[in-house]
Amino acid sequence: MSAGYRPVGWNRSKLVYDAVLAAAVVVYLTVFLQFAPRFQGVTLPVDGAVARMQAFGTCAFLMLTVALSIGPLARLDRRFLPLLYNRRHLGVATAVVAAIHASHVLGWYYAFSPTDPYVALLSANTSYGQLLGFPFEALGLAALLILAVLAATSHDFWLAFLTPPVWKAIHFGIYAAYVLVVAHIGLGALQGDDGPLMGIVAALSVAAVVGLHLAAAAKRRRAIDTEAATGWVVVPGADGLAPGRAITVRFADGTAAAVFRDGDRLAAVSNVCAHQNGPLGEGRILDGCVTCPWHGYQYRLLDGRAPPPFTERIATYNLTRDGGRVLIDPRPNPPGTPTEGIALAAASADRREAPVLGEATT
Amino acid sequence: MTAAAALVTLAEAWAVAGLAVAAVFLLWGIDRIDPAAHGAVAFRPLLVPGIVLLWPLVLWRWGALARAPETAGRHDRPAPASIHRRIWLALAVVLPAILLVAAAIRQEGPRDTAAVRISPPPGEAP
Repeated sequence: MSAGYRPVGWNRSKLVYDAVLAAAVVVYLTVFLQFAPRFQGVTLPVDGAVARMQAFGTCAFLMLTVALSIGPLARLDRRFLPLLYNRRHLGVATAVVAAIHASHVLGWYYAFSPTDPYVALLSANTSYGQLLGFPFEALGLAALLILAVLAATSHDFWLAFLTPPVWKAIHFGIYAAYVLVVAHIGLGALQGDDGPLMGIVAALSVAAVVGLHLAAAAKRRRAIDTEAATGWVVVPGADGLAPGRAITVRFADGTAAAVFRDGDRLAAVSNVCAHQNGPLGEGRILDGCVTCPWHGYQYRLLDGRAPPPFTERIATYNLTRDGGRVLIDPRPNPPGTPTEGIALAAASADRREAPVLGEATT
Repeated sequence: MTAAAALVTLAEAWAVAGLAVAAVFLLWGIDRIDPAAHGAVAFRPLLVPGIVLLWPLVLWRWGALARAPETAGRHDRPAPASIHRRIWLALAVVLPAILLVAAAIRQEGPRDTAAVRISPPPGEAP
């Protein structure tokens, strides 16, 4: 992790993820080019260049929709966590597909005049004061620029170099990009005479991504169980945790801890991965380490330190027992502070250790 | 020069400056501000697009790190979940509104209407 940068941190899981992603894109493009013209209400078949432009454009939109849906899906149902694991490559692939869409637009609509294609793109339609006939190309260009920045700053170097707050602020641009893309489609493709298919797909995509995010937010609010910030907080169901799994406890100040069960002990660390702020409480213990579900960064449970030679540290939290209840101190220890954890209740400790699945990556 | 041409020229100049910053930073500067980059060369070309796009930010952070190297410990401040919730509450209004406006202004095409000849092409008798 922090021991030295590599171009791409591939492992078996990520290779499988990328292979499935590439295959899905190829299948979509092939199916679109083969079948989509049958659903378009045009009097003549569209040109090949236009069909490819539409194929890559719709593909990029759907990839962006999927990328935005993975987070809430994983929060609503843990079975979707594998999709979250390598979302970064999905984001980069989305930017590439969107760029290919743009290159087809430039190479078809703006390539056959003495005017520079980029100048033509920006000057062919300047009716910014009206909705009907709005230069929707500018919206797509702005979205593409944002996607390019996000893809270009996706390497781990950028997070360390820019600092997490700045990096995160930049990557909030994904929301602006999605709004721009929806507007680009709404004022562009949906104004054409191509039948209702694209409108239906766009509406369903927007409904899905918005609905999933609102449902995940509602679930998170229900899960919040906080007491006063100065008091110890009850960890509900801690003794019922499955081996290697965690429960997330959110405190009154907005921070959160992940209480893990490792063997017959419970211990708590920050819920925030030092890499890209991934939700450690949604991860599991692999190879004796808390493993982030996003990119596989690992930390020892009892001291919050990444195993050597890595140097990341996260905060630990103190646990105690109050009769049958497990309590957590909401005041975090400094990152890397050793703790002892507490023993699991006797009845729970008798449960057999579940076999570890998946692959650890560091 | 039109505004569009000026924008394109500005973008080209931005990219040239970014490439220059990328060359100096990746060949010389990065080793002095990030220990994890020592001996790691293969990943550096991947940084070029980001530096070209964000070179003023790169220069600013480069200068800041050169003056006062930072250590770990800046990670534990995630964006509150409430920010994401507010964003999606806003998008739950904005995104459907965009599609509704798009549907409202859409004009049906004259697909089923027979073409009407307005005037003959040049050189052809009426």
